[in-house]
Amino acid sequence: MTEAIRWLLFLSSVLFLPPLTVGVIRKTKARLQNRVGAPVFQPILNLLKLLQKGETISYTASWLFRAVCPVNMGIVILIAFLTPWVSYKPSVAGEDIFLVIYLLALVRFLTILASLDSASPFGAFASSREATIALLVEPAVILSLVSLAIPVRTSNLGQIFSFGSGSGGSDPALWLLAGTGLFLASLVELSRMPVDDPTTHLELTMVHEAMIIENSGKNLALVEYAHALRMALLYGLSGQCYLHAFCLFVPVTEWVRAGLSLALVLGLGVVTALIEGTAVKLQWRKVPEFIAYGLTMSLLATLVAIARGTVL
Amino acid sequence: MVSYLSPPFPLITIYGALTLWTAGIMLAILRRRISGHALFAWAMFLGSAILVAGAVFGLQVDITWEAPRPIYFGVAPFVNRLDNLSSIFLGLLGLCTAATAIFSPAYLDHLGSRFNPRLYWVCKNLFLLSMAEVVLSGNVLTFLVFWELMSLSSAVLVASDHSNTRVQRAALIYLGATRIATAFLAAGFLWLHSLFHSWTFADWHLADKPCFWPALLILIGLSIKAGVWPFYIWLPYAHPAAPAPVSALMSGVMIKVALYAMIRLLVLGGVDTPLIQHLALALGIISAFWGVLFALAQQDLKRLLAFSSIENVGLILTGLALSMYCRSANLPDVASLALAAALFHCFNHGLFKSLLFLGAGTLDSQAGTRDLSLLGGLSRKMPWTMASFLMGSIAICCLPPLNGFASKWLLYQSLFQLACQTASPVSRAISLACIGTMALVGGLAVACFTEAFGIAFLGQARSQLAERAHEKENGMVIAQILLAVCCIFTGLTAPSFLQAFQPVCFAATHSFLPVASAFSIPMSILALFLLATVWMIRVLLMSGKPADVRRYITWECGYGELSHRSEATSISFVHSIEYIFRHLLQYRTQSEITGADRRHFPEKIKVETETQSLLELRVYAPLIRILEWLGRRFATLQAGSIHLYLLYMLLTLITLVAVGTI
Repeated sequence: MTEAIRWLLFLSSVLFLPPLTVGVIRKTKARLQNRVGAPVFQPILNLLKLLQKGETISYTASWLFRAVCPVNMGIVILIAFLTPWVSYKPSVAGEDIFLVIYLLALVRFLTILASLDSASPFGAFASSREATIALLVEPAVILSLVSLAIPVRTSNLGQIFSFGSGSGGSDPALWLLAGTGLFLASLVELSRMPVDDPTTHLELTMVHEAMIIENSGKNLALVEYAHALRMALLYGLSGQCYLHAFCLFVPVTEWVRAGLSLALVLGLGVVTALIEGTAVKLQWRKVPEFIAYGLTMSLLATLVAIARGTVL
Repeated sequence: MVSYLSPPFPLITIYGALTLWTAGIMLAILRRRISGHALFAWAMFLGSAILVAGAVFGLQVDITWEAPRPIYFGVAPFVNRLDNLSSIFLGLLGLCTAATAIFSPAYLDHLGSRFNPRLYWVCKNLFLLSMAEVVLSGNVLTFLVFWELMSLSSAVLVASDHSNTRVQRAALIYLGATRIATAFLAAGFLWLHSLFHSWTFADWHLADKPCFWPALLILIGLSIKAGVWPFYIWLPYAHPAAPAPVSALMSGVMIKVALYAMIRLLVLGGVDTPLIQHLALALGIISAFWGVLFALAQQDLKRLLAFSSIENVGLILTGLALSMYCRSANLPDVASLALAAALFHCFNHGLFKSLLFLGAGTLDSQAGTRDLSLLGGLSRKMPWTMASFLMGSIAICCLPPLNGFASKWLLYQSLFQLACQTASPVSRAISLACIGTMALVGGLAVACFTEAFGIAFLGQARSQLAERAHEKENGMVIAQILLAVCCIFTGLTAPSFLQAFQPVCFAATHSFLPVASAFSIPMSILALFLLATVWMIRVLLMSGKPADVRRYITWECGYGELSHRSEATSISFVHSIEYIFRHLLQYRTQSEITGADRRHFPEKIKVETETQSLLELRVYAPLIRILEWLGRRFATLQAGSIHLYLLYMLLTLITLVAVGTI
């Protein structure tokens, strides 16, 4: 795969894969509910429609409210360049675990502030929940990634997730545990079921959708895209873990890997839809228990890393 | 040790700064009436600017200067040592002092008659002077003399508004804590002197002799001053009670001076007792978690900041402990990385914590309150304070691209490198546990500072006070902007700062810090890329006619306009987090709903929440009760009868003679 094709493929994935994943989730959910559902490209059309619209902003909102949306989108795009969420991502400088995690935290920080800015009680409720969830999930995400990094002895994500001979993580258990830990954590981070139901009509119980309740028009388009990209990124990252575990048994060519990484992002979207079609939303006080599953996975991965990485 | 009549070059620059501050003291004493504060503030500012210059020159030198004879402290001379380590802390002192000097005049005018200007300026200058001299001191006597001056002058400053009972209590607690700290330190110093037969710090090589007990005494003494768990008790009382420029310096610099002493005595002294290292690591991690958890539960912005200082001190102590641990484990690279992380976080925390304390002071003086439940909606009334406080919050949450991230990244990296390079599964497990806890602490910090910033500055005003708030004092604004710019600049040029820490890292670990590979993130390039992306998004996607943006009320479900009563408060914002950690926080909620049909049409709803510190409740309160009981018992000895006292004297003499003869 030449560098030019790599970049082209990557840039188009950054642009189109996120709304497509959302489309796939919605389509699958519709089929599960015996509906035909909107076409999978509908989210792209929605975004284009929103970009044509004007915005309505609360009287109480300050400059921060409008500034946060483009900044957040910019940060998420930056993270997309720094995280190996698809196997054909061209490598750039600064792909660091801790940087990526703290950039995600910066996005969350700014989103919470924007939701508090309009003085909406819904937004405040939701942002309080978001802050709570985030602090519980953070250790799971960091420990999953660090346990993958220990055998390679670098915190550079590009090297950890590279398919060359340099990648030292040759333990399928490690990849599977870390991947599952990441996936469970990303369900929580992205406010999907069973933590939060993004399609309910009750703003009081929601997390992400209620945080952005005051966004509209162009503003909303940016937020929705950024959220979808974040979803594709996190699904892609756990998908890459599964892909690595798979490639340890079945060596495949670069093109197949590229196809598989695309399929994994969409596939994890389908899994999300299946969970949302069958599970019920957890009571808020039970959410920490669900997060504990993700944390357990990452702790198990850490144990594997401690036991296996002792070679010097 | 060489004794010159006049001190050598960079040191003389620093003495220039100290002379200006001394002149400030003289001026405050000699002036008949103190009407304005500008003159003092200028002297202080000038002094700190010279100090920063001297500190920059001092980064590359190692000079020891002994004062000529008449200046002598009983058993040891007055010795100053300027090296890389002391220069770093002097630079921090200079920067923070410069900002507070700009901030002070306007703020003090607002305090009105709630403080004594003469006493304030004498003690403020004395405080600065003694902090600089503690950092410069080359032997125990110089250290202790100025350490005491620093403690006492800051205690007087804490008690500025001494007619307030809350302030009296705070000053008393602080004074008590400093006494105990000095007692521990003095005991540790005497012990070490008996081992090494020298009062000079440079002669103490703690690895050569069994030094567990003196090292422990010194660690405890310094921990009390630095505000490490479980010795932090004085911090949340003293910081809110002091005037804002003082609490900025106390939290930004003074607790760092204690950490400086820890680096000088324990890290550079070469402690290799595993127990001390593990203890310091445990205390560091617990402080980080405990501090941020309690910060979250606070209503008073300054108290919140005080608890967050405990968190950051915990992070720094973790770095120091890690550095000592790795050096003993024969991983000098990781040790120097951890030391650089701790030093850098000291520096960064000094900057952003001073910034936040000055912000809290601005709120206090311009809005009239720093109670989060009364603030809100200040974004339009105080735009510059808001922007600077936002920068400070991003920095203290350790989010990129500001300076907090750079130092926290180094700390993560050193923990990670330890996990990668060590052969023992136990230390790998310890370092991974630390990484997990630090992630949790990071999440809590984000929650805490979104609360602090979001509730104080965003949304609707929650009281008349907040509605009337304004931002008229340029001095206050400039001071905050100065520190905010320092935070951004430090964050983007982190590698050059690390380069400046090279000598002290080498001195401690005999391994140079691999700067190029140590900080591998091209932060400024990424920041530029981000700026370009955001600009493109704005131009391509968000451009449009201004008419496209319509202003309307916040969504209220059609019930009619929202009031500030429907907004979230700091209590409701952190409720779910406090609920999770309810056992640690002793979190209790009580709700009372009254009315004829209380289910659907309540007349009065009252909810109360309460958190308590388990440590104060279960450890310190019983301890104080025991002390009081003992005090009452011993008080019977003092009966007021001269016959009895003569008997005591006779008994003492007989005992002494008996002891002497045996």
